[in-house]
Amino acid sequence: MGQFIISVGREYGSGGHEIATILSEKFNVPLYDRNMLDQMAERNGIDAEDLHKHEEMKRQGLTRTVRGHSSSVQDTIAKLQFDFIREKAESGESFVVVGRCSENVLRDHPAHISLFIRGDEAVKTERICRLYKLNKIEAKAKMYRHDKKRKAYHNYYSKMKWGDSRGYDFCVNSSLMGVEATAEALYKMLSEFLNNKE
Amino acid sequence: MLAEIMAIVIFVAMFVLIVWDRFPKHYVTLGCGALTSIFVFGIGMHSSEAFLKTLAIGGIFTPSFWHAAGESAEQTSGVNWATIIFLWGMMVMVEGMAEAGFFDWLCLKIAKLAKFEPVRIFVAFMILSSVLAMFIDSITVILFLAAVTIRLARTLKFNPVPVIMAEIFCANLGGSATMCGDPPNIIIGTSLGYSFADFVMNTGAIGGISLVIIIIYFYFTMRNRLQDPADKVAPGTIDVDVKIDNMREFLTSTIIFLIAIVLLVTHSMTGLTVAFIGTFIAIITLATAGRKALVLLKRVDYFTLLFFIGLFIVVGGLEETGVLVVIAEFIAKVSGGNAHLMIAIILWISAIASAFIDNIPFSATMIPVIRTLAATTGVDLSTMAWTLAIGTDIGGSMTPIGASANVVGISTAGKEGYPISWGTYCKELVPGTIIVLMVSMICIFFRYL
Repeated sequence: MGQFIISVGREYGSGGHEIATILSEKFNVPLYDRNMLDQMAERNGIDAEDLHKHEEMKRQGLTRTVRGHSSSVQDTIAKLQFDFIREKAESGESFVVVGRCSENVLRDHPAHISLFIRGDEAVKTERICRLYKLNKIEAKAKMYRHDKKRKAYHNYYSKMKWGDSRGYDFCVNSSLMGVEATAEALYKMLSEFLNNKE
Repeated sequence: MLAEIMAIVIFVAMFVLIVWDRFPKHYVTLGCGALTSIFVFGIGMHSSEAFLKTLAIGGIFTPSFWHAAGESAEQTSGVNWATIIFLWGMMVMVEGMAEAGFFDWLCLKIAKLAKFEPVRIFVAFMILSSVLAMFIDSITVILFLAAVTIRLARTLKFNPVPVIMAEIFCANLGGSATMCGDPPNIIIGTSLGYSFADFVMNTGAIGGISLVIIIIYFYFTMRNRLQDPADKVAPGTIDVDVKIDNMREFLTSTIIFLIAIVLLVTHSMTGLTVAFIGTFIAIITLATAGRKALVLLKRVDYFTLLFFIGLFIVVGGLEETGVLVVIAEFIAKVSGGNAHLMIAIILWISAIASAFIDNIPFSATMIPVIRTLAATTGVDLSTMAWTLAIGTDIGGSMTPIGASANVVGISTAGKEGYPISWGTYCKELVPGTIIVLMVSMICIFFRYL
């Protein structure tokens, strides 16, 4: 199997991250998510949390741009992650990447396949309640907050809109079959696609 | 009345769009400049004369634009072509110096002279940043200094964030010391007819005192956060290569830089205007660059020059309609003719405004205001000019968006994985800015009033 890169966009609570994790394990390739900043934090001897708290966020507050340089920490962290994804792709490595506008960054890369995982509101709420020990109202509030943030971030840095089916190769509702079964189905489908591609 | 209202609306819209930072700044000022030309000069004033006066193209073809006898002002209103041409020339020169590896060599050489000791590098780079920013735009200074600081920080295992922030502050402070250090100073100098020497003797002297105080302040507040003693690297193991790849290019760019300094320092004696100096320096840089001349020309930041053109037209609209006279009269009324209060208002308003909005449009707007104030209140124009220069140059250090150097420094650090948030930045540099502004105000009060 040649190089392949699977980017996974997701709604909060849809299990998109879990599906990405299963795919990376089954394909035996690295998974890149927020961990892509850990290496840099370690190299610089700083707390990774200082970088994480600004990631997957649209620029905040008053900012200024001078000759392509931005004063926004969010812009800088986003660019760091986009560069990381591009460099990994250019190195010929196969990997699975979660969020970070990766489907936009790798839009023209021949080895790239993009997925978007969505879910039914009730199922997502139930999953968030279970995972984070929250009541329904809290879970819904958390879900709306995260999705709003992701959407704003994605739409700010990408050409296509977040969750718009025209921006992805496959859009899947994980609520129909459940997270694990969806991951299994996607694995089979992608394996077949990649084998046929060879 | 219609012209005044439209001039104000366009001006405010321009500021809002610049602060919003959603569109390139040169689009904003050029667009607003076009609107000013149509609605203020055309529909509001029906005056092609005011429009042509603001464009001020005719001035370029007069001998006094290139060589001025005495200390007459080179440009009184409208598009300040002297500033634009001078900036273009200096940009070409700086590109030549960067291509020759001048800045990398200088930074590393100084680090070596500091024996690669983090605290010494910290102090040395603050001084270097100030001195370079006196002659070169602060963006270039910080671009190279911050990159070298991060490189050294990784090798010597120290925290580059306090060093970069101190460098940013000192670049803005150094920029305030000379006429060519910061764009507001060039605009003030060329608009009001002050020389390089005038700036050095006035803002330079105040900047020198402030630099000593701020180095002591940063030394005591930041030195303990630079390095964990356990991270200290043994001097024998440090391997930093300080070399020049192309000696001919290096020497040429250094000589051109020195010529530029000599021409600027002596321009009040020789009568050569900054427009002449900029053009001359650009021509010799391009002539000696050979095949790289085209590359250097292409690298010049033309967007910034376009930004200036649009900006001057919008400010010209305010000036021609008399709006700025109203602002000047308001300041005179609030201060009740008290010179101390007037200076304090100009200094602190300039500083606070420059902390949040671009100091270039602000100073361009304020020049006609202080000119009117001087004429109506009798307070010395030069005192207000130095106050305006210091307020706009130093006030920009207060926030991450206040000055171009801040943005470039923060961005360079962030790209290397050292994010500097608003909170971190302001915590470090707001007290320093207030200290320098207080020192400057005291200096101005004692020396001039």
